[in-house]
Amino acid sequence: MRSNRNKSGAGRSAVTLFLLPWAVVYGAFFVFPFLFSFALGFLSYNPLNVAGTHWVGAANIARLFHDPDFAQALRNTILFVVGTVPVTTVLALGVALLLRGRIPGKDFFKAGLFLPSILSVVVISLLFKLFYAPGGALNRALGVVGLGGHGWLTDPGTALPAVMAMDVWAAVGYYAVIFYAAFAAIPDELYEAAELEGAGFFATLRHVTLPMLRPTIGFVLVINTIRSFQVFVEVLVMTQGGPLGSTNTLVLHLYETAFRRLDYGYASVIAYTVFVLSGIFSIVVIRRLRPGYATGGGGA
Amino acid sequence: MNRRSRQAIVAVAAVLSVAMALSSPGCGRKDERKTIRFWQFWDIAVIRPMVEQFEAEHKDIRVEVEQLTWKSGLEKIQAALASGTQPDLCELGSTWVPRFSYEGVLEDLTALYEVEADSFLMWDSAIWKGRVYGLPWVQGSRALFYNRDLFRRAGLDPDRPPTTWAELLDAASRIDALSPDIYGFGQNLGERYVLYKKFMAFAWGNGGVILDGEGKVRIAEAPTREALEFYLELSKFSLKEKQEVLDHHFKTGKLGMQISGAWNLGNYAIEAPGLDYGVALVPKPAADRGVHASFAGAEMLVVFKGSPVRDDSVELARFLRQYQRAKALSLAAGSVFPASRLALEDTTFTRDPKLRVFMEQALTSYTAPAHPGWIEMEEVINRTVEEVLYGRRAPRWCLESAAEEIEKIASKFEKQPE
Amino acid sequence: MRSVQGAGAKRWLRLAALVVVVVVMAYPLVWMVSLSLRTPEGVGWRFYRDVWQAGPFDRYFVNSVIVVVVVLAGNIVFCAMAGYAFARYRIPGGSFLFLLVISTIMLPKQIVLVPMYILMQKLHLLNTYWALTLPFLADPFNIFLIRQYLHAIPPDCEEAARLEGAGEFTILFRIVMPMMRPALAVVAIHTCLINWNSFLFPFILTHTTSMRTLPVGVALLSQGAHSIDWGHLMAGAVISAMPVVVAFMIFQRHIISGLTTGMSR
Repeated sequence: MRSNRNKSGAGRSAVTLFLLPWAVVYGAFFVFPFLFSFALGFLSYNPLNVAGTHWVGAANIARLFHDPDFAQALRNTILFVVGTVPVTTVLALGVALLLRGRIPGKDFFKAGLFLPSILSVVVISLLFKLFYAPGGALNRALGVVGLGGHGWLTDPGTALPAVMAMDVWAAVGYYAVIFYAAFAAIPDELYEAAELEGAGFFATLRHVTLPMLRPTIGFVLVINTIRSFQVFVEVLVMTQGGPLGSTNTLVLHLYETAFRRLDYGYASVIAYTVFVLSGIFSIVVIRRLRPGYATGGGGA
Repeated sequence: MNRRSRQAIVAVAAVLSVAMALSSPGCGRKDERKTIRFWQFWDIAVIRPMVEQFEAEHKDIRVEVEQLTWKSGLEKIQAALASGTQPDLCELGSTWVPRFSYEGVLEDLTALYEVEADSFLMWDSAIWKGRVYGLPWVQGSRALFYNRDLFRRAGLDPDRPPTTWAELLDAASRIDALSPDIYGFGQNLGERYVLYKKFMAFAWGNGGVILDGEGKVRIAEAPTREALEFYLELSKFSLKEKQEVLDHHFKTGKLGMQISGAWNLGNYAIEAPGLDYGVALVPKPAADRGVHASFAGAEMLVVFKGSPVRDDSVELARFLRQYQRAKALSLAAGSVFPASRLALEDTTFTRDPKLRVFMEQALTSYTAPAHPGWIEMEEVINRTVEEVLYGRRAPRWCLESAAEEIEKIASKFEKQPE
Repeated sequence: MRSVQGAGAKRWLRLAALVVVVVVMAYPLVWMVSLSLRTPEGVGWRFYRDVWQAGPFDRYFVNSVIVVVVVLAGNIVFCAMAGYAFARYRIPGGSFLFLLVISTIMLPKQIVLVPMYILMQKLHLLNTYWALTLPFLADPFNIFLIRQYLHAIPPDCEEAARLEGAGEFTILFRIVMPMMRPALAVVAIHTCLINWNSFLFPFILTHTTSMRTLPVGVALLSQGAHSIDWGHLMAGAVISAMPVVVAFMIFQRHIISGLTTGMSR
């Protein structure tokens, strides 16, 4: 619920001032790179020969439809997003719920949860590379029940799921902390009222917690999706897009196209594909998860 | 605006001002010397003394050295070129020099080549259309590592490593049969940039060629096909995994043989001191034909065109490539050898039997074709080997598709830019 | 705080589940520490010593701290302002503007690398603290987070203050921000994390040893051309992780401290 504050001059100048710092940073540092990278999509550009840059119109875009690597990368990336985002979100919510209330050593648990996020992606990817190797921890553990010995990252069928599992592991704690922080905004009265009405765990979840968390759930979904569409470092370190391109992702393909093939123009249209996909998804989610306190506050 | 917000803004401004005051290193100092900007990939602790000695010998020159990471260094070079702020002297891998030469961003160093041609190895990648654009600095080839212990257990003579493909196959199959968790040979799979290096050793050894002197694509011809078919045969007794896994198995005595580089000599000494292993030349097709070929990579020094200190940069390059310095770098890095032919007779490298093999191997090692499209072609070959090892398609068809793709790539570079 | 989801007997079950979760999360870190201590001569601190002595590591550390402190200060203030504006005011073209805000995170940064380099070069900001901090002072993630967080809080307190004649800035900084403490804590944690571990842009935009940040220093030390130096890499990673753990410990307390203030009146 937004007020009619924009009617008053004081309100309007306040808004302008509030948005000014962001606008300055954006204007100074992002407008140029955005325009430049957008223009690249219609050009043939090679950093080693900037003078030879020339217009190619829609040729780069047309190429998307004939590039089997792009098709594979698109498919893998979508699989990655669909396979990790919902799982991570649900697990993060679950873990945050576990943290509610009085628990001995809660700070310790919160810190423990957060540990994967602290490490750089490169380090995590390298560790998991060893973890998944034949003779690595996972196979040794499975060997106890007689199942070990599989090359998780060298089997085209299991490489992508292995990377996805790692991503879920790395992300859950982070989003759990965000959900946990959002719990703080839920007024106690709502819970008290629910208790008075005899609501059990799941009922309270459905009618108090989840509706109040809608904005945050929306946030987590959007952020996680945007991030997942750009999965790159993990596959670069662990599989380089292999085997047989089964872990090729859009940003990896972009990276190869730009920095190894020196074809920045085509790389740009791949980048904007990611941008458009993220954008569509974000718009849809943001629209659907409008402010919740006016509508979903249970009996508030 | 109230007090709190004013305080906040003042605080932020103060922090930013401090940052500004602390920034711009070296500003305000007037330096009359010429500056050479030198970008390279090695540990700066090793390079700096060399550079300082150069400065001592050339009092009018200052050298700014920057160390690049192997992973992202090339991106930085590209960004610098795009904005016209590229360094004067730069280190480039031999697989990249042809592309940079083709694009015309490198200074022509043919005059230096004419003087040095016979004293250095690894010139091929530096030559484009008859002119020379790079100066070999250090090089490294790949050789056959084999576990002598496993050889003994398999009934093979540890002092007679395989010298032909047949012997290699035989040794691999015997070692592989020793136990379910012991493998005969190590083949890289599941990662990209390495595959072609291991396979091409066999192709080149059999006289196979990717592109010939006239630029014709010959990869689908018999010699390479035979090599790929042999490689596929060998895979039956191989551990097909990523390099880390291969190394781990070799160090723990579970892998009989693998083709790898000199950096392992140092690694194995530290991480597997009890390992009884030997090094040999890569086997050739048969006793009476073929070559003990292998892959070699070289690091080259190039000067970017338009550098205001071109001659001084060339002088610095010459200085760094002088034998004692290239040797110091090689010993510090442990993974390469000087590109100078003097290394071939240096007892430091010839006394140790394992190092001597690497020196010998360097003489019959091949670098990737000096073609500007090589980076893309390399990808095609990697994919081809992958497809064959995963059993997706037979070698013949894979190679024919590869030939078509490589031709397409080559045709993109037919016209000179500008 | 009384009402809790699932208190009582179920508490032990929850505790057990949490322990399992934490073990799963912490295992690689423990492994990492063990790799960093496992020197060929036995268990020891050699890798840590090497890492700290290779290159001016104290300088890298200081650089990283400066960058993170500046970026953190900027984000807390600027993102609170922008997030508040988006949450509470009806802005003409607001949806479009908001999309513009998150557009910077929707475009893969790899494609922005070269133009950003060119821009910094033209502004003569290459190899300065400015290049490492200015572009990151208003992270859309934080703006988005704060906006969403405020959507769940009724603006009653603000309305009341407004009726009493308080100015907009006063309302934001004296009333709303304290209410937003948990969100601001997340902003702080996120900003510290992202900027502390950031490698690509700090590497690309600087070119002297004195301007290097910690991740760049660690990468240069441990990533060889053909092999990874596990001991040094892990020691470097542990050194890099410690300050973030500390920062997390400091900030995460604020996540629960905003609970009962101002909520139930």
